[in-house]
Amino acid sequence: MAKSETNHPAKASSKKETLSREENLKQLEFQKEAVVHINSLYNYALHLTMNPDDAEDLVQETYLKAYRFFNSFERGTNCKAWLFKILKNNYINSFRKNSKEPGKVDYDLIKDFYHSIKDTRIDTSEADSDYFHTLLPEEVYLALQSLPEEFREVIQLCDIEGFTYEEIANMVESPIGTVRSRLYRGRKLLRAQLESYAKKYGYNTDTDQ
Amino acid sequence: MNCNKTRVLMSVAVDGELTVKEEQLFLLHLSECEMCRVEYEEAKKTKLIIREKIVRFNAPASLVTMIMQLSDVDAKKAEGTLSL
Repeated sequence: MAKSETNHPAKASSKKETLSREENLKQLEFQKEAVVHINSLYNYALHLTMNPDDAEDLVQETYLKAYRFFNSFERGTNCKAWLFKILKNNYINSFRKNSKEPGKVDYDLIKDFYHSIKDTRIDTSEADSDYFHTLLPEEVYLALQSLPEEFREVIQLCDIEGFTYEEIANMVESPIGTVRSRLYRGRKLLRAQLESYAKKYGYNTDTDQ
Repeated sequence: MNCNKTRVLMSVAVDGELTVKEEQLFLLHLSECEMCRVEYEEAKKTKLIIREKIVRFNAPASLVTMIMQLSDVDAKKAEGTLSL
């Protein structure tokens, strides 16, 4: 009797230690696999919410969910793609529903963003004669934001985040053929928009017509 | 392959996502068509522009710290209502 009484707490505490070691391992793996993508997720959240506070909340919720369901992440697949999908679902389920004006672009906010980091940007790789060179980052951003969401989304995922078509198809829950055609049409629209900005600077962009 | 079909595939080519067969036909057409070659260079440039000009922001340090300590936060929020 006395033996079992002393045994019990000892057993409980050793179980607790095992659990916390597992928890530690999980946390380490999570940091290595998932937390390394935090900047990408934050930027994606900024693109979606157009608001730094909301973006932060969205990323936080995404990681909480991802951590809770980390066991269901298929090891060896692209963790970044998995996280993006969770973030997107989170955004659709809670943020977009609550947003006063869904999908509305806050142009002032975008400009503020860009002006606040203007001094740190470096872009001198292209030839000066290239009209693209004259485009300001906020113009490229605005051009992108002016696209219908279905086009903007695939361009972001492909060009900015570097996902494969297969990963994008999975994220937007559409066939690869749809991803292909959205990228094609979206880029066509985007280029027209960029060229209209470039024309503003007096560059002739009609050479390919 | 004609010019129209080639233009559609350009966007795919830029991403390196053409199938082997598509790539053969695509390159064959480019070798024969100056206009499409020019157009292809422009298509590559558009992708490059997006990559280079879109500014990447760093996640706030407070957010990073919070995510790094996630298991603690997770424990506090345990039995929450989150679902995948």
